[in-house]
Amino acid sequence: MKQLKTFWLTPFTHVVPADYEDWFEKLAKEGWHPVKVGQWSSIAMRFAKAEPKTYRYVADMQALPKKDYRPTWEEFGWEYVGQMASMHVWRKQYTDVRPESFTDSASRQDRNRRFIFAVSVSFVLFLAAAIGFGAALFMGWFDNVPDGRIQGILITALMLAASAGLGLVILRIRKNIDK
Amino acid sequence: MDINKARKRYIPMSETMLLILFSLSSIRHGYGIMQHVKELTKNRIELGAGTVYQSLGKLESDGLIRTVREEQRKKLYLITPLGKQILQEETQRLNEICGYLEVVK
Repeated sequence: MKQLKTFWLTPFTHVVPADYEDWFEKLAKEGWHPVKVGQWSSIAMRFAKAEPKTYRYVADMQALPKKDYRPTWEEFGWEYVGQMASMHVWRKQYTDVRPESFTDSASRQDRNRRFIFAVSVSFVLFLAAAIGFGAALFMGWFDNVPDGRIQGILITALMLAASAGLGLVILRIRKNIDK
Repeated sequence: MDINKARKRYIPMSETMLLILFSLSSIRHGYGIMQHVKELTKNRIELGAGTVYQSLGKLESDGLIRTVREEQRKKLYLITPLGKQILQEETQRLNEICGYLEVVK
C-alpha cells in the first residue's frame, strides 16, 4: 500500500519562492513526490512515497500565461507538475549540475516581483476590509446586534492580522528578491 | 511603444536581453533562441525557459519583436524595426565603451 503524507498550508509556510522550491527538492530526495498539485494544494498537499529522485523544482507565478507558456517550458525539458491559483510548479530531473530556469538576476527578480504582486492583491483586500469594518465599528453599525461590538472588534482584528501577515510575507520576499 | 520610451526602458540593456534581441534578427522560437545564444557564447550562456519566456513577453508587448507565425504550439518571433533601432543604439553604446577600455587589454 502506498505511503502517503499530507502537508498543510505549504505556500504560507515557505513564502520565498526559492525556499519553496528547496522544500520540494528536499522531499524528493527523501522519496516523497506530490500526488497532485491543484487548486486546493495550497491548503493540503498530498505526497506519496516512492524512489528518491534528484529534482530541480521551480515555482513560477503567471496569472495569464499565453498559450505557448507550457510548450516553451516543456521544450526546455521541464515537466509540468501542476497549478495552485496563479502559481505553476515545474520540475526537471538532473544528475550533475542543478538546472536553472531563471538564469539571470533580472528574470529572477521579475519572477519574485510577480509573487509580491499576487500577495499584494490579498494584502490590499484584507487591509480594505479591516478599514471598512473598523469604520463600521466606529460609527456604531454593530451596536444593534447582540454582542455586535465584540464581533466587530474580532473581525476587524482578524482582518488587520491577516493584512499584517501578508505585509510580512511581502517584506520577506523583497528581502530575498534575487534568490 | 515610441522610440524614446523604448530607449528609456531598454538602454542600457542586460546581456540576456541583448542576446535574445540579437538572436531574433532571424526568425526563431524560444528554444531556438537558447540554442543560438549557447552556440554564440561558446556555451558560456545557457538561457533558461523562464528567462526566455518572460523576456519574449516583455519584448513583444513593447513592440521590439513580433510573432511571425505559430508552429506546433510554438510561437516564432522576429525583431521589428523598433527593435533593430534599439539594438543598433545599444551596440553603438557598447562599442563606445569598448573603445574606452582598449587600454585594459
